[in-house]
Amino acid sequence: MADALIAVALLLVAVSATVAVVTRDPVRQALVLAVLGIVLAVLFTVLQAPDVGLSQLAVGSALTPLLLLLTVRKVRRRAQDRDGGR
Amino acid sequence: MNGWLLAAAVVLAGGVGATLWGVATGPLRRRVVAQNLSSALACPILLLLSQGYDRPSYVDLALVLALLGPVGTLVFARLLADELAGDPPRAWGATWAAAGVGAGVVLALCAATAPGRATVKLLLTGALLIGGNVVASRALAGGFRGVRRG
Amino acid sequence: MSPRLRLWLVCAAGSGLAALLVAACLDLPGFGGDRHPYGDRAVDASLARRTANTVASVNFDQRAFDTLGEMSILFAAVLGCVVLLRQTRDEHRARPEPAHVDRPVRRYTLLVLPVALLTGLYVIAHGQLSPGGGFQGGVVAATSLHLLYVGADYRALERVRPIGVYEVGDALSASAYVVTGCAGVLAGTAFLANTLLPYGTFNTLSSGGTVPLLNAAIGMEVACAVVVLLARFLDQAVEIEEVRSL
Repeated sequence: MADALIAVALLLVAVSATVAVVTRDPVRQALVLAVLGIVLAVLFTVLQAPDVGLSQLAVGSALTPLLLLLTVRKVRRRAQDRDGGR
Repeated sequence: MNGWLLAAAVVLAGGVGATLWGVATGPLRRRVVAQNLSSALACPILLLLSQGYDRPSYVDLALVLALLGPVGTLVFARLLADELAGDPPRAWGATWAAAGVGAGVVLALCAATAPGRATVKLLLTGALLIGGNVVASRALAGGFRGVRRG
Repeated sequence: MSPRLRLWLVCAAGSGLAALLVAACLDLPGFGGDRHPYGDRAVDASLARRTANTVASVNFDQRAFDTLGEMSILFAAVLGCVVLLRQTRDEHRARPEPAHVDRPVRRYTLLVLPVALLTGLYVIAHGQLSPGGGFQGGVVAATSLHLLYVGADYRALERVRPIGVYEVGDALSASAYVVTGCAGVLAGTAFLANTLLPYGTFNTLSSGGTVPLLNAAIGMEVACAVVVLLARFLDQAVEIEEVRSL
């Protein structure tokens, strides 16, 4: 019956990873990626790999969104500056 | 499969499945709320798994998620303040429902474990989880009004 | 390269990779079986050195040399980012404006910052006992400092983050790992061999020989590296602006 838990977690990971690939806007992609990280951490825990799950949580929940959103902000500001300069 | 694992599977399939739907579709304001709820629901799941597998050290995962999950939402709220300012997302019903799930799970686990250091750790995790997600919800609903750039 | 050629190249490489993966999957033992030849040996070795967390024993004792490689990868990646994201000649710095954050949010971040920092140190220190270790704890500790940017403003973060200190700390902790390894050679065994310290009592903080030392080195390295990396990203996103060509 523990297999049911693995199946649910695997299914959620597959769906969220597919959504992350299909989403085009980087900001929305970062949001999906944050959820994907959380679901992955649950999957790792269910598969009895808490060390990997902890790495995923540490990196995926705050650090990756921060890096992605800072990059988006820089790129957008640059585009605005270019448009304003013309 | 014991009751703890069954409860974890139900919250995972129902709760996190629903937040996955929320984060995949709809306007940006709904997606950020769904992201916040996903971390608020995953933390009780990790606690239930730790109890279900009888591995007290797995509580560390829930503790780290209770700390960093709301921080992730605050990052989104802060750096997307401009996009969210026009129509700030308010989802107090869902936020308090998720907080209720977290509180229920923490209390159930406290009742199941012998009082001691483990109970203190559980209560700390619960307090960080509920406080963090309520604050993150508030931040999404306009906590970063004054932030334009910088 | 024309798009058509590129597509063919991707298809050829992809089908080759798929064939190799399928061939490897067919040879795997069944899922959830009870025969784990490598696992049994790893658990035996970690118990012999009184390390409760077998993963920590594999990472910092049995395969400590691999971890040295992983640490060098992170070090080189951060070094590359520092070089790529530096301020160039046609850019200038603009002072970031102070941010006004709601009082509950600000209070929460100032309250959680020390708790998160402490949790990071706790995860590093308990690497040999419970899930976690240098990498995980280092990332948590580094993230906690950036609560100052999220909950207050960029200038508050800059005050607690003299970037030069963290750069030096990054290099020092990376070399501390190598020095601990060389100490094994000087003691007459092998590079990174876990023979320097007594193994201690099972399931206590001082157990596992050099595993806690290497964990601490990795924790400091990762924390400093993440702070330096985020500092470059924040610099670019908040401060550095292009000079408009007139």
